[in-house]
Amino acid sequence: MDEFDNNEIGRLLRLKRYEQPPPGYFENFLHEFHRRQRDELLRQPLWKIALGRAHDFMMSLNVARIASYPVAVTAVLLCAAVISLKVYQTTPAPNVARLSPAVPVQQAATEGGWSLAAPVSTRITVSQPRTHLSTHRAATPPRYVLDSMPVSYESSLRF
Amino acid sequence: MEQPRTDEDQQLVARTQDGNAGAFDQLVVKYTPRLYGLVYNMTSNHEDTNDLLQDIFSKAYKSIRGFRGKSSFYTWIHSIAVNMTLNFLKKRGRRFHLSLDDVDASIQNDKEFLEVTQTSSPVREADLSELQRRLNEAMMKLSDEHRAVVTMFHIQGMPHAEISKILNVSEGTVRSRLFYANRQLQNYLDEFRKNPVT
Repeated sequence: MDEFDNNEIGRLLRLKRYEQPPPGYFENFLHEFHRRQRDELLRQPLWKIALGRAHDFMMSLNVARIASYPVAVTAVLLCAAVISLKVYQTTPAPNVARLSPAVPVQQAATEGGWSLAAPVSTRITVSQPRTHLSTHRAATPPRYVLDSMPVSYESSLRF
Repeated sequence: MEQPRTDEDQQLVARTQDGNAGAFDQLVVKYTPRLYGLVYNMTSNHEDTNDLLQDIFSKAYKSIRGFRGKSSFYTWIHSIAVNMTLNFLKKRGRRFHLSLDDVDASIQNDKEFLEVTQTSSPVREADLSELQRRLNEAMMKLSDEHRAVVTMFHIQGMPHAEISKILNVSEGTVRSRLFYANRQLQNYLDEFRKNPVT
């Protein structure tokens, strides 16, 4: 046999099983492992250690078994109920239409005339072009606002 | 190599999961020699092997609560070891120095050793220590993945099925990697046989 075949390679490689660490290595390995674990633990911040201990404590109480499927379902249902209650209880946003003033306040300034009723600061802003105002006025019928008194059925006292 | 009993491991794992650190110590003691062989033959460096073994057991201890027993502890710990070693080798790249010349003296009296050296003509022709050195060099020329398969199959004596579980690849992949690696090793060693002095 002049060449190394698979079996030969296998037999040679099996000799590598005898390559061993220095004597006493396996005996000391566990001590070294414990020492490294302690060092690693000491390097951790305090909150992490506390968290780990709390986790261990919870695990010792078998929280995982307590928190079984029915409990999880109940928790989900409770959450859903609370959320839906909150959704229904929220007061709806005031549904009052923001009516533009029946008579545009710009009118006084734009049409050349002025009156004491017209606010002083009224101006046409860029965002509200005049063309829009005029077309709106043309499209909608004129509206009149009457001064009114609150209705009362009590007889007014007159002396 | 004989696979450890899984029921005994399961008990130790269960006790560890219940918070018994002593049970994990037993697992460490049990698996250290075996994992040492695996990692050492992949890294070829004792110091790296020692650090890796410590990290492997540390990681195993931290994640053992998540171990659900879908595979045996044997497969699980070997998967951790192989993956961590492969990651380490990727980071280390090709900068390594061989420290594989410390073949134990007891090998000289081993039956298998004597059989190999007396019956095999290429081995008889070559100086054994030189052949071992060449073999180690040849191993280190393999890719990390191929070396892992060769180590597990030839040195650790694992079956293909077990290797495929550990590496999470198909048995076919294991066989093809092994075939390719064997051919590579043959080429290196034949070269040595033809030019033993170089």
